Amino acid sequence: MNNMLELRINGFGGQGSVTLAHLLAQAALENGEQGQALPFFGVERRGAPVRAAVRMSPSSIHAHSQCELPDYVVVMSEKLTKAAVSEGITEKGSVIINAPYAEAVEKYCTWQVDAEAIAREAELFSADGPIINIPLFGAVCRVLNIPQNIMEQTILNKWPGNNEARNLGAAGKAYNEVKLCPMLF
Amino acid sequence: MKTAQVIMDTGAHAAALAVKSARVDVVPGYPITPQTSIMEALAAMVENGELHARFIPVEGEHSSMAAAVAASAAGARVFTATSANGLLYMHEVLHMASGGRLPVVMCNVNRGIFAPWTLWADHQDSMAQRDTGWIQYHCSSNQEVFNTILQAFRVAEQINIPVMVNFDGFAISHCLMPLTLPSQEDIDRFLPPYEPEWRLDPAHPSSFSNVTNAPEYAPFRQMLSDDIMASIPLVKQAAQEYKDITGMWDGDTIDTYRLEDAEVVAFAINSMGAELRLSIDILRQQGIKAGLVRPRLYLPFPAEDIISALPQNAQVMVLDRNYNFGHPGGILAAELKSVLFGRRNDITVKNRVMGIGGIDLTRQFMAAEIRAMMDE
Repeated sequence: MNNMLELRINGFGGQGSVTLAHLLAQAALENGEQGQALPFFGVERRGAPVRAAVRMSPSSIHAHSQCELPDYVVVMSEKLTKAAVSEGITEKGSVIINAPYAEAVEKYCTWQVDAEAIAREAELFSADGPIINIPLFGAVCRVLNIPQNIMEQTILNKWPGNNEARNLGAAGKAYNEVKLCPMLF
Repeated sequence: MKTAQVIMDTGAHAAALAVKSARVDVVPGYPITPQTSIMEALAAMVENGELHARFIPVEGEHSSMAAAVAASAAGARVFTATSANGLLYMHEVLHMASGGRLPVVMCNVNRGIFAPWTLWADHQDSMAQRDTGWIQYHCSSNQEVFNTILQAFRVAEQINIPVMVNFDGFAISHCLMPLTLPSQEDIDRFLPPYEPEWRLDPAHPSSFSNVTNAPEYAPFRQMLSDDIMASIPLVKQAAQEYKDITGMWDGDTIDTYRLEDAEVVAFAINSMGAELRLSIDILRQQGIKAGLVRPRLYLPFPAEDIISALPQNAQVMVLDRNYNFGHPGGILAAELKSVLFGRRNDITVKNRVMGIGGIDLTRQFMAAEIRAMMDE
């Protein structure tokens, strides 16, 4: 259990956080580990804050709660950063933020990726706008040291024959572009 | 044992896959959150020909169980699923299934009951069906849901008693986890086709469940009570044979963790019973000799297994996700106290109600609650 990695995704309804959680849990399985995706279903509506829990572990996962103190918090919009961090994170936790500019969160190791720009460039759009969860998936895989081929395989298994080149392109670009922000103390 | 396949799947879809591989004949269904995704999956499987069964859409849960009872009396292998108020709406017909000795298997995806309205997990719904004569399992993982549904058909059909397989709404039903699927060949070996001892058949007219006077009624009720008590060896046997064939083990009537030298024993069911393992690890790190008993079977209450599992002089902390209205605390604690009375006077039982209507039960919270209970 000490090797169990916990991650919470904070986003807005419609941004694809449930699918991002599923992709990450699936990637854990592809990577030879156990994975768990536990979306939180509330009285959702588009645009309302939502969250999902993801766990990865070399051994069986027994937890079923919503990651009160995760090792990583994925923030799907920089507007949510403050609220997301205040929901709880371990002392040595890291934050991965979808934002146009790199800006560290006080005390925490912060990673930044411009998922929206990458999705736009790859022409990945849904009715709600750019599909940011695919580049964010790539970025999170890089931060968690999940090999790029595992990331690619997970995407291909999830959407076989559907937008393959654009999905892989966007995830791969984010995998390479996600960067660590200078620490703030 | 044939090669098993590992996929990622939700608890609800795992349930649907188990039902498909049990080769059921009839599925009456009505949607209710958080159960709906089981019925959606089964309806789709019937529609696209993966499952050769009759799907009966009905206008409410009372009709759903009525259709299940009728199909089972006609000799079909029947499955349905429900949650919360849907289960309460079925209450009358649940008695028809058990009193009629019809081996229907049903999933109940645990959810709190109105009012006020809630969609999230608690155990008031299944525990309110305590006296309907159904056998009840409570599962703690997606894999356990899958395995238990197959075992439930086996037990139900051996003893002609309906079985309810319970698991927490959202915490399990919508949680994606790895799921090992045994080969269909192995499942067919474990669960051969259903051959009822009798069936309603228009070609050979007969009647069923006639009005009885007290001298006839009473023996039927006694038989039902005796047979429910007698189902425990069958539950154990089903778990063992399932393990022999598929290699997977979920414990039979109870699941235990770090119990050998335990002085403090947590006692809970369903998904909270899984996360409690991690609470036990936290308490052990704090120097508290903690252990866990998680009944997999709630009905019949596995009294003998619990009595023999509890270490000497243990303090048992029962974490109930339901209320026993009119009593202080929950239903599980009352059941435990009643089986310990006069048998294990060395055991102390303490109880707390928590997690009602989906309140998140983290390992840290439950460990802290157990510590607080120790000081009470």
